[in-house]
Amino acid sequence: MTDHTIEDLLSDDEPTETPDDGDARTDGGSVTSPFDVVSQYEETRRDRYRKLYDAYVYAPVSIIWKDWRARIGFTIVAFYLLMGTVGPLLVDEAVVAEGPALAQPFENWAYPLGTDDMGRDLFSQVVNATPEMLKMITSGALFTVIVGTTVGGIAGYKGGTADTVLSSITDVFINIPAFPLVMVLALLLPIGGNPWVIGILLCVASWGGLARAIRSQVLTLRQEPFIEAARAIGVPTPKIVFKEIIPHLMPFVVINLTNAARRVIFEAAALYYLGILPFENLNWGVTLNLAYTAGAHYRPQALHWFIVPMVAIVFISIGLILLGQSLDRVFNPRVRARHEKTTEATEDPEEGDGTNTDVVGGL
Amino acid sequence: MATIDWRIRRLAQTVFTVWAVTTLSFVLVRLMPGNPMGAMVRQLEQQGVDPVRARQLVELRLTIDPNEPIPIAYVDYIVNVLSGNLGQSVYYAEPVTQILAQAMPWTLFVLSWSLFISFFIGIVAGALMAYWEGGKFDVGLTSWAILMGSIPYYVLAFLLLIFLAYRLNWFPTSGRAPTGVPAGFNWPFIKGIVHHATLPVLSMLVASGVASLGMRGNSIRVLGSDYLRVARLRGLSDTTISTQYIARNAVLPMYTSFLISIGEMFGGSVVLEQVFQYRGLGYYLLAATYQRDYPLMMGGFVLITVAVVLALLIADLTYGLVDPRAGGQNSDSY
Amino acid sequence: MTISQTDYESSSAKGETIMEIRNASVSFDMERGDSRVLDSVDLDVHRNEVLGVVGESGSGKSMLASALLDAIVDPGVLTGDVTYYPKNETPVDVLDLDKQELKEFRWEQVSMVFQGAMSSFNPVRKISTHFIETLNAHDYNVEEGMERAQQLLRDLYLDPERVLDAYPHELSGGMKQRALIALSLILEPEVLVMDEPTAALDLLMQRSIISLLQQIQERYDLTIVFITHDLPLIADLTDRIAVMYAFEVAELGPTEEMLERPAHPYTRLLLKSTPNLESPIDEMQPVEGSAPDPVNVPTGCSFHPRCPLADDTCKMNDPEAYNVDATHHVHCHHWEESADAIPMTESSTSVESPTDRIDRPTTRATRRSGDQPLVSLDDVEVHFEKEKGFFDFFSDPETVKAVDGISLDIYEQDAVVLVGESGCGKTTLGKAAVGLQRPTGGSINYRGEDIWDVHDSGGSGTLDWGEIRRSLQIVHQDPGSSLNPHRRVKTSLEEPLKRWHDDLDGNDRKQRILGLLDHVGMSPPEDYFERYPHQLSGGEQQRVAIIRAMLMNPDLILADEPVSALDVSLRVEMMDLMIQLQEMFDTSYLFISHDLSNARYIAEKTGGRIGVVYLGELVEIGPPEQILHNPQHPYTQALRWATPELELAAGMGDDQTGGSPIRNIDIPDPTNPPSGCHYHTRCPEAREVCKTDSPASYQASDAESHRAACFRTLEDHEYWNSDSIVDEEESFDG
Repeated sequence: MTDHTIEDLLSDDEPTETPDDGDARTDGGSVTSPFDVVSQYEETRRDRYRKLYDAYVYAPVSIIWKDWRARIGFTIVAFYLLMGTVGPLLVDEAVVAEGPALAQPFENWAYPLGTDDMGRDLFSQVVNATPEMLKMITSGALFTVIVGTTVGGIAGYKGGTADTVLSSITDVFINIPAFPLVMVLALLLPIGGNPWVIGILLCVASWGGLARAIRSQVLTLRQEPFIEAARAIGVPTPKIVFKEIIPHLMPFVVINLTNAARRVIFEAAALYYLGILPFENLNWGVTLNLAYTAGAHYRPQALHWFIVPMVAIVFISIGLILLGQSLDRVFNPRVRARHEKTTEATEDPEEGDGTNTDVVGGL
Repeated sequence: MATIDWRIRRLAQTVFTVWAVTTLSFVLVRLMPGNPMGAMVRQLEQQGVDPVRARQLVELRLTIDPNEPIPIAYVDYIVNVLSGNLGQSVYYAEPVTQILAQAMPWTLFVLSWSLFISFFIGIVAGALMAYWEGGKFDVGLTSWAILMGSIPYYVLAFLLLIFLAYRLNWFPTSGRAPTGVPAGFNWPFIKGIVHHATLPVLSMLVASGVASLGMRGNSIRVLGSDYLRVARLRGLSDTTISTQYIARNAVLPMYTSFLISIGEMFGGSVVLEQVFQYRGLGYYLLAATYQRDYPLMMGGFVLITVAVVLALLIADLTYGLVDPRAGGQNSDSY
Repeated sequence: MTISQTDYESSSAKGETIMEIRNASVSFDMERGDSRVLDSVDLDVHRNEVLGVVGESGSGKSMLASALLDAIVDPGVLTGDVTYYPKNETPVDVLDLDKQELKEFRWEQVSMVFQGAMSSFNPVRKISTHFIETLNAHDYNVEEGMERAQQLLRDLYLDPERVLDAYPHELSGGMKQRALIALSLILEPEVLVMDEPTAALDLLMQRSIISLLQQIQERYDLTIVFITHDLPLIADLTDRIAVMYAFEVAELGPTEEMLERPAHPYTRLLLKSTPNLESPIDEMQPVEGSAPDPVNVPTGCSFHPRCPLADDTCKMNDPEAYNVDATHHVHCHHWEESADAIPMTESSTSVESPTDRIDRPTTRATRRSGDQPLVSLDDVEVHFEKEKGFFDFFSDPETVKAVDGISLDIYEQDAVVLVGESGCGKTTLGKAAVGLQRPTGGSINYRGEDIWDVHDSGGSGTLDWGEIRRSLQIVHQDPGSSLNPHRRVKTSLEEPLKRWHDDLDGNDRKQRILGLLDHVGMSPPEDYFERYPHQLSGGEQQRVAIIRAMLMNPDLILADEPVSALDVSLRVEMMDLMIQLQEMFDTSYLFISHDLSNARYIAEKTGGRIGVVYLGELVEIGPPEQILHNPQHPYTQALRWATPELELAAGMGDDQTGGSPIRNIDIPDPTNPPSGCHYHTRCPEAREVCKTDSPASYQASDAESHRAACFRTLEDHEYWNSDSIVDEEESFDG
């Protein structure tokens, strides 16, 4: 059958808490059946911790480490994370005339990637811009995922009017070209230089695709027998959402998380390059802007000034793509089962270790 | 029944989106604290323009009358936008519609070429990858596609500009048409504009990476389908099978990413046209932001959005012609 | 496992051979080793016969079908010989054909119908295009060909104009399947290979297609190889039956022989395990164990691990074909003892007359009817409005009346089995009964209280929603999706205990779950406890789902087709388990089934009732004896007709073959059900009054709980004076 009226489906799940009287109302039931045995098993706290460690630390890491793409992606992203956290402590901020103007890269270890036309160390510029970029990436990606998942999830699970309204809004955001909107908003709204706010601004119009995907997933999942069984057992709605539904959405979420991160990098750099976002410190986009204004694109001796921020941008996005494509395997129970030590090693003929590039959302 | 339904629905959705965007632009210009309208009035008054005259000027430029109460101003604004009046540019002192109308074809020219070439490359590459699934070619192209996906189009634009335009002098470094050639339907002019458009078009080819991966997945799915197996058993010719069975069914789902690319490329044109100093929609939008030319800026924003929304509408409606299943989410009979 | 040439020649002398398979093997090179999915099979197909090939999933039967057309999918490799004997021409070695010859052989001589009719058509091309391109590819005259196509479609009770002009997604499954049969016959082949052509269809549609096949086979002089897992389905259709087990042919013989005197222990066990309408239910038994893995087939006779007759010879030596007689071959060392070791009561002798049966287990039902019902449905309606979007104010909402006014009482320890075609609303009704679907009309009472009143008011004094929720549980059809793939068995099963027995600590819970797992035959339970659902077989998943429901200690369980996703040989076992658990936990069942045989098994074993649902209405309900042997509603009679029998030509006094009691094969559109009695468009007894008046539920026979919604049960209804609307015109689907 097609679409059910969803209020009905939902409203089942607010059971008034009952003290367990299953045994009291026994209609000759089973409670005294052969299964009602006192436990012989003692599961110690240590066992439980070991299992938690196995499920949440050991298995994911071992899954990631088995796939070369994930390994590369993970390494690159980890490198940037280090650069963004520890980097600024080790590398001093770039100052004017710390070296000769337009020194070429790999000539002097004081400024390994060369300098710009004011003699500022480019390596230091890249490193010291990283924390700010990471903040934008984090806030932008989280914003996209939280808004997309929430809107799509509510639309799919609640249905009815909520769905109609939310889906219409989603459609508008899917249709609007994001970049011009972000540009206009950046110019007209008093956002200042706060990287967290900028991250959100950059993603303000890009959660639509995720919301639509999540909605259709939830619509399908809601009809799944195991969800219905959970409702029949009387599991409360929030628990159904978090324990039964969310795990199924993780592959989408992960892919969109890394896509949103890439979008933030691309758009932030573009807006800084265009000079639309206000800036106080140097960052990858600003460096591009300065290089362009200084005509680095036609001055061969200034070429590296252009190339360095570009490489910084391209490299992290390669890392994000590779990581995104392989991370969804962490959420695949078939793959997990083979990597968790506490699970019986059973043969699983159907599952090839093949990589799949055609995950929904792809890139 | 279902066909009529979804088309009307789709049309209504488009109208709704256009309305939402114009309303947003009104809100931004008129209602936000520190909004451009107030700023313009103050600016003119500071320049010594008589307050009444200043307000008239603002109304002429923004098509929003500062004296009107908000609801009436809003209705007027919507009516103006719908009738094609986007106000008057401060900087160019010309009607916004006129400036944008002459810029529009240039942007569309670059974008349509970019779209078609990237999807052509993507589809061919994806099909070949699927054909040699798991082989060296597949692995190589997949890596290439991932690399393409990691490069922002403007980075590619810089690289092309530096090497092909400045270093090798194969292409002009800026502009949209050859200088000194009379515009019109003549060979030197056409050659000139193609020459000028080549680098912007090439920069957009980063989109082919995503397209090829999508096509690869679709083709692999079709290659394993039951209907393909039956078609082979029925002895259909290889041409029929590869065009009508494999290609058609693998290409059709690409349409979603095609739609997404339309929006992204329009957005990207802003940066690209700046890099190549290519005077299209994006170039004027950006110029307006530099000049704080709010009428031109908001007009450009509204127009780009409407263009994208209409392009998506057209794509959606024409898609129904090639895929019989389009639009009917529940069209399966019982 | 080879059969000497002479044996086969003597047997094929009876019928002329059209296809000959010798020593055919198919192997796949898998990582875990070489996997043989067809193992040295010898088989002859006779001209103009219908040969049934029966086997469970994974027995290699589909490979055999593909081998006949040399159409094994890569990377499978086919070895051996397949020879085709055209009439009055030189034999063709199929595996030696070049590309062009193969193209002419396939579809022109031998064509094939796949199981997946849903996906056998190119979704973006019209049905007619499929016919035309096939004719063109083989240089046939298109005009003549299309006339033939129209005739074929008409023979299959389809409207040619409409079907040819449609896109695949515009046709229902049954229509697509018939269109595919027409497509496979368009080049007038000699042999038609059908691989599970009806598996995805409803009972009535299956049976209709089978009888259409009989007509078509005669009309077009076809040889048909019909591959299926469902032995009873083809008992009427086939001349000979081959039973496959573990990628080999286990037994081959004339249909009558195979049904009445099967010689292979597997065949005998399979027949005994197949639920049907006639043989006494006590004799139905499951086949113990499970089918082997293609990489790891047991040595010797591959059936020996499951065979009660197995000895050391069986473990060592692969049995060759033994001749039971000239036409009946069996691959078993001990076939002569099988009849004694695995007795099969000759069902013809044991059939009790219907009257004998009527008052057997009804005692429980009568006793109950005085009590207060456990769950009582009163004029329940569930109408779905197709979702209205924000921009949909232009269109009228479409309403699907999934359940349209059904009343039903379910008592303590009761069992009601709802039977009907897919889309008839039986699942929706079931979900409404256990409070998972809110009805749009009528009421559902649990121990006398309206459950939705309780839900909305937050609980009356005696009863609250949580209690209702605990008491009404569900077991789903597809075991694969009824467990969350991300959660281990442990987590899934702990959920109900955590929710309703919070006095238990983790170790008590574990103990209780382990006990139940062990009880349902999943041992050692500690092994299964930590597994993910994908590490369980279908049967094991279903057991876990049943345990999960039972752990709630419910009063009523909705079991939505709990066995239809399982292999035939496992069904009886699963049903027995459920019946046994019912006694242990003292629950009631509301079963849903599309299959009258399964319905009968459950209802007879539990002394329950069978209810027949058609387009949202309960058209007949009663004890199984009445429903099966004295059906009053014409729709029940049609279902009864559609249920395959293990005996040849048994039945309700209908014509042996054909004689379909329905006027229209396809079920009407539920968004627009027929007026009056919903069934009048298909009913062979329909009269004018049925078009306008909707029958109420009337007492249908002497049995107290037997009711039917048909005017014919009343002796003095105006129906009898009304004009018949049945005419002889062929009616097409609406």
